[in-house]
Amino acid sequence: MSMRHDPELDDVLQDKELLRLGELLSSAVRPEPPLDDAFQSELRRQLMHQAWEMGEGRPSWWKRAFAPPGMAWIGATAGLLLIASVVVYTTTHQSASSDVSYLSPIDGGSGIALQQPILVKFNQPMDHRTTEAAVQIAPATNVTYSWQINTLAVQPTSGNFAPNTQYQVTIGPGATTATGQHLPSAGTITFVTQPPAPPTPSPSPTPRAPASPTSLLTGERQLAPEGGGVSSPLQWSADSSTVYFVTVKGALEVVPAKGGDVTIIAPDGASSPVIAPAGDRLAYIRAGKIEILTFAAGTTAEVVVTPAATMVGWAKDKVVWATSDGLYAQGVNKPMQLAPLPTTGDVSVLSIASDGMHAVYRQDQKLFLLEIATAKSTQLGQASASFYGWSPSGTQLLYGGADHLVVSDTQGNNVSTLTSGEASWSSQDAILIGSDSDLFQVRPDGTSGTKLANGTYHLPVWAPNGTAFAFFRGGALWTASAPLLPPQPTVMELATTTFTKFMQARLKGQGGEAAIYLDANGKQAYSSGGLSLVISGEPHFTRFYVLTQQITSTQPDTARFVVRIVLTQGKLDVADFEETLTIIRDATTRQLLIDQATLGTRRDLGKGAAVVGVVVAAGSIQVAFDSDLDPGTVPDSVVLVDAKGKQVEATTTYANRTVTITGLELRPGAQYKLVVLPALRDVLGHNVASEYNLQLLGPAVKNQTGIVVKPPVSPSPSPSPSQNQSN
Amino acid sequence: MSDLLRDEEGDLVERAKQDPRQFGALYDRHFQQIYRFVYSRVREQTAAEDVTSEIFMKALKAMPRYQDTGRPFAAWLYQIAVNAIADRYRTLRPAQSIDDFHDLSVAGPALEDLAAHRDEIRRIWGLVEALPAQQKTALVLKFQEDMKIEDIAVAMGKTSGAVKLLIHRGVSRLRDEADALRPVE
Repeated sequence: MSMRHDPELDDVLQDKELLRLGELLSSAVRPEPPLDDAFQSELRRQLMHQAWEMGEGRPSWWKRAFAPPGMAWIGATAGLLLIASVVVYTTTHQSASSDVSYLSPIDGGSGIALQQPILVKFNQPMDHRTTEAAVQIAPATNVTYSWQINTLAVQPTSGNFAPNTQYQVTIGPGATTATGQHLPSAGTITFVTQPPAPPTPSPSPTPRAPASPTSLLTGERQLAPEGGGVSSPLQWSADSSTVYFVTVKGALEVVPAKGGDVTIIAPDGASSPVIAPAGDRLAYIRAGKIEILTFAAGTTAEVVVTPAATMVGWAKDKVVWATSDGLYAQGVNKPMQLAPLPTTGDVSVLSIASDGMHAVYRQDQKLFLLEIATAKSTQLGQASASFYGWSPSGTQLLYGGADHLVVSDTQGNNVSTLTSGEASWSSQDAILIGSDSDLFQVRPDGTSGTKLANGTYHLPVWAPNGTAFAFFRGGALWTASAPLLPPQPTVMELATTTFTKFMQARLKGQGGEAAIYLDANGKQAYSSGGLSLVISGEPHFTRFYVLTQQITSTQPDTARFVVRIVLTQGKLDVADFEETLTIIRDATTRQLLIDQATLGTRRDLGKGAAVVGVVVAAGSIQVAFDSDLDPGTVPDSVVLVDAKGKQVEATTTYANRTVTITGLELRPGAQYKLVVLPALRDVLGHNVASEYNLQLLGPAVKNQTGIVVKPPVSPSPSPSPSQNQSN
Repeated sequence: MSDLLRDEEGDLVERAKQDPRQFGALYDRHFQQIYRFVYSRVREQTAAEDVTSEIFMKALKAMPRYQDTGRPFAAWLYQIAVNAIADRYRTLRPAQSIDDFHDLSVAGPALEDLAAHRDEIRRIWGLVEALPAQQKTALVLKFQEDMKIEDIAVAMGKTSGAVKLLIHRGVSRLRDEADALRPVE
């Protein structure tokens, strides 16, 4: 474990153990707290509003606007409410002798909502015609104007602004006051819009308040009296309403999970109870024979097998059992052996996977995984390991020793390691880990670990509903319910986290921090090929946004991000360039790291319409532009070509700055190229300065959420050039 | 902080003192840091937002009175933050376990070693939470916020010597509870 040494503490702590504790405290890394970007923007606006009041020493125009009759107008303009608390003072570049000025609440803002007007408040009555004529907005956008007293509201005709775009609204000197006085010079209001809303809300785990100061469990109760525990693993009914168990005296009993009387099914000699996957039957062994209780009929059938059965289970809804020499299932006329068991040592089968493909047995003190089709055995862990169950899909299993639990695949390979304890794997993919002192819940990959309670929780067994579980305490049977783990993040969410942390570190100029998110290939990419982790120089790096993101493979999990890096001079965005990042799940650590990076061409901004977002699905591609386009130029100017350069046949439509290409049948993983030709014109008649190309891949899998997502990544928090923390 | 950055911040602070409307640049620069600190203390998003709002509003209103002592501007913000959090703690307690607030999933060494390491970190930070308030604040600012002792002194309104004493006493107390630090078998 690497622990950071702080020389300043040498003088304070002196003692070796104190220093070690200090370094240990320093080594804990704070995770990113949940942060609502809207809160950050809104607080900034409130502060600027307050600052303006302080600077002017008078009540804000905002307060006055809210007073009747201004309130009536505001009520009619819902968009105003979004920015009601903000005022950033903007002056024209006026001479000292001129008193014509204006201000806009969104000037200099970032993360500005897409659906709101640009408000420009003048300090005196203006001539509407000349003022509207003096307004220029870039990128080219069709707008409408409305006035309320001295405030001009500029609203995009389409109803919303383009995402991830810096708007520059210039009011030229042609604007005149009602008395004919000109603005002395042009002034520009700038703001950056927020990313588009993701298509589906991202699950956000909310912190859970404990049910009590020491426990997150509910409904904890004792079911059966103390009786010295059980002799076989207990079983839940399929509807999670009852619990079956075998007492140390060999009685098979059942008790309602909500509490109630215990009912005896078999008074003695029973072992190995197991519920059928359909939940309609219960098999168990009694006196060497297999008994099958059918719940609906209330009848019990006997299956006499030779040699005597030692364990019974279900595979694909059929009874399977173990004897001293092998695993068996019922054949047409007689039992058929599925796989032989070792003939030496003390062998006992512990479990057969529900798909009938694997079994786990103990030979003397060692645990083995048996592949039934090949009869090949693989030892699991060290001697004295214990088996705790299969994953819901049957493709992984859980076993443990004294030191830790292991999640293994069905080849016996270690997939992850968890803290030690007695465990159970739920249908919801949560692992419950009990012990003499506490109870934890964790995901199979070791994430989302949560301590549920202090106390004794022996041999926990999840109910099929994934919330109730049974356990033993002091030899008695108990049940309780555990809260669900937060939703497991999707690959795209995990990749987005990696991407965001990587880019935020770069934005702060923290190359070392950014490098944490690179694997060996990624580090190589950033040490050559013109790529640089720290982007320095002028114009300077002020923000980034995702142009497009896709899951391109699931073996291994692979995501591809095209990020736009924006360079700013003064307060104006003047250039950008793209990087294409490939994020891959590392086979060993399971982390998603940046494996490949390529650099795109630097592009000057303000040279015609630009692509600001691309959403790829198997059957369609949406291309969002920052400008309103001349619709007549769209069909021949925005095209998709395949890897051979041949144009893909499709239908192209245009509305609200978005070109939609439909009728596609993109092949998973195949290469395509989106081409925007210079013939494309915006509504002001400006052509795109040069051809724009964007490499795309066919989505990995059809119809899976998260494969193609509109850029949900928050853009860089602020256009402020420096984010360095002081310390 | 480099001299260049400090000079740049000094300019920003001076401008904000003269004209509160320039405070936005300081807000942009320090918001994330302060919000993270506040969240780590109050552990609930809505509460963190409330306290962060209070801190920056107070800072804005107090800007004209801000005195440059040669320490980073952030130290002054932390001073406001420490007081705001203390005010809130008088009536409320953190909602979540300390376990959630120190990333215990660092990669690198063997997983079993890591697990033991994580357990120890978790337990120690759990004990920090139980320290007397002043010791706890000093330890959090030092070990979590990675602040220099002189900056902590500004944030806590104490001398550097007093901060050193608080840190020494706090860590010594953690050592004295070493039995409780041992991983549960």
